[in-house]
Amino acid sequence: MSNKRLYRGASIASEDSPKLTKADVLVEGDRIIGVASKIEKADGAEVIDCTGRVLMPAMFDIHVHAREPGQEEKENIATCAEAAINGGVTGFIMMPNTSPAIDNSGVVRSVLESARRTRIGASIYTSGAITKGRKGEELAGIASMKAAGAVLLTDDGFPVDNPQVLRRAMEYARDFDLPLASHCEVKELSGKGAMHEGKVSYALGLPGIPSISEEICIARDIRLAEFTGVHLNIQHVTTARGMETIKRAKDRGIRVTCEVAPHHLIFSHEDIGNFDTHYKMNPPLRTKEDNAALLQGLIDGWFDVIATDHAPHTEFEKNQDFASAPFGITGLETALPSLYDHFISRGVFGWDLIVKRYSAEPRRLFKLPPVPIVEGGAAEFIVFNPDRTTKFTREFMKSKSVNTPFLDKELKGCVERVVYRGEELLAR
Amino acid sequence: MNPRKDLLDIQSLTDEEITFVLENAVPFKDLFRRSVKKVPTLKGRTMLTLFYEPSTRTRSSFEVAASRLSADITHFDVESSSVVKGESVLDTVETLEAMKVDYIVVRHKQAGIPNLIAKNTAASVINAGDGWHAHPTQALLDAFTLREIFKDLRGARTLIVGDIQHSRVARSTSLLLRRLGMNVAYLAPGSLMPREIPPEIPQFGNWTDALDWKPDVVYLLRVQTERLDEPFFPSAAEYHKNYGLTDARVQILRERGIYVMHPGPVNRGVEITDKGMDYERTLINAQVENGIAVRMSVLYWLRPGAEGGVS
Repeated sequence: MSNKRLYRGASIASEDSPKLTKADVLVEGDRIIGVASKIEKADGAEVIDCTGRVLMPAMFDIHVHAREPGQEEKENIATCAEAAINGGVTGFIMMPNTSPAIDNSGVVRSVLESARRTRIGASIYTSGAITKGRKGEELAGIASMKAAGAVLLTDDGFPVDNPQVLRRAMEYARDFDLPLASHCEVKELSGKGAMHEGKVSYALGLPGIPSISEEICIARDIRLAEFTGVHLNIQHVTTARGMETIKRAKDRGIRVTCEVAPHHLIFSHEDIGNFDTHYKMNPPLRTKEDNAALLQGLIDGWFDVIATDHAPHTEFEKNQDFASAPFGITGLETALPSLYDHFISRGVFGWDLIVKRYSAEPRRLFKLPPVPIVEGGAAEFIVFNPDRTTKFTREFMKSKSVNTPFLDKELKGCVERVVYRGEELLAR
Repeated sequence: MNPRKDLLDIQSLTDEEITFVLENAVPFKDLFRRSVKKVPTLKGRTMLTLFYEPSTRTRSSFEVAASRLSADITHFDVESSSVVKGESVLDTVETLEAMKVDYIVVRHKQAGIPNLIAKNTAASVINAGDGWHAHPTQALLDAFTLREIFKDLRGARTLIVGDIQHSRVARSTSLLLRRLGMNVAYLAPGSLMPREIPPEIPQFGNWTDALDWKPDVVYLLRVQTERLDEPFFPSAAEYHKNYGLTDARVQILRERGIYVMHPGPVNRGVEITDKGMDYERTLINAQVENGIAVRMSVLYWLRPGAEGGVS
């Protein structure tokens, strides 16, 4: 059998234009060897009819909780990789809030070794904790973690409360050329909060996490980034004002980037309804006004990347009262269909936005080459069928956990094929 | 009226159901004047009280109500059970489910626990207070008490005073009184006043302004100093002076014929003084008595095993 495949009649998405380009794409080995409006001569190539399908560069998620080591009842790196593939994501960065935390070179090596055994092993990266045990007190072994392969520093899940510790970490990270990502929250203001502080938290009698908790920390961390010169990435921004603070900092030339998660664009605190823990995450779902502002910010280019904050938890853990259930929802498998269904299919934004913010920019942020669908490029793309739908049943999802608001719901669009380094990892 | 399995909050009740419960409480209360106060309505049924927070009053009220309806009563002793050893609420519910009780009366410090239990049992679940969320039978007994005083609740005014932020009573009672056409206003220190309450509810920060609103009823909330882990106000004495029903304020209420309510138990000297307790228009004892009648009415109304208790 030839190792050539011809993806015929596809609509190619790129970050440069909202318009899709009709083309045939020829793959040989791990490269794209031809992109043309008509490729007739593809001797021996397997022909895959892509009429009506969108070919887009495979996605890369910079915010993923693979739960290894120590929380394998929720997820492990292998199941997380399969979940990613199932959603058309062929690379991601793991967060260090594991047990033990990824806060030294030994754990970094061990998780990377585990990652290498998956089908997208070469594209799974890890972050390392800023502080030992993510306690916010002593600096973790930053240089040795970098030497072992860590690409990002973060205490994700927690802020670094002590500004002096954060300042030192930033100075250190800057010199070792590691970006530092902040989970922005003033813990005293969040208190025992379980959801956004507002009319819904009041009606449900749940303690609230006020917007100022996030906004004040964003302002503080940006000032420290400006002072130290580190590359700061603000994780999962949820409020209009927080986003505006970041925008102003960017305008002043501060090295700050930021993420938005699909669920913060699609859902608001009103969706929590009757204590539905599938809508509980931190930072929480805010107001509809925030949804609209974040969406406009994404369209206007204020967000560098889309990242899911994929956070698996077991059904047992989520099946508790709202305040006791853990924060977090899964996202790798639902991200693209949810963004397609809610935004692209309704003409809110084009395919170029997804390609740019969920494929190209996330890679560039970590000095990795993007994977555009061009002649001579790496064959790392997905085939998406807008005319099919995807129902997110337990059977469909490859993650160990099913804590998503989309559980058993149907969304427009279907990731039909995933090509990674020339190999088809998924075809349905 | 569709049969309903659970009573979890006020929002989900229909007008018809509210009327049904309040009106049927009247004949149940009439029973209390008889020498034999018991009817056989719930003979053969079992009510279980599951209280994760201590509460002598509410629990006794439910138990007296159930016994007057001839139900069997049992108490799941949380303190001495495996719950303290970390058994989850749902594991406990599975155990109770196997015991085939008909009614589970729940109190818990976390909002939404009764909703969670209700989804996982065929028994009727009655919320006897969950965190800051809801206390529907308190609201029903408050409304019942006020209907005994005012021929028509529509247009009458209730001022709720105290820790609005952390009070399930304020939430449920406000919702129900407003459903019945009453006007409700809040008086609280700024630190205990929620930021996002419906705009139709006036908010006051001092008694002078609040009394200018001309309330017919002043509803005092318990100051739950034991639950407040942050500095919401400097001291109980300062709270009393600024927000409590002082003797001087009792005199003003007397002159204006304003009624006083309180869900109990009271902190004498904090939200209310001895003179306030003895004030002729204080309805606290009536609330306790009516609580039994209203809870009898609730037990009579709910249908264990019915569908649609939870949304």
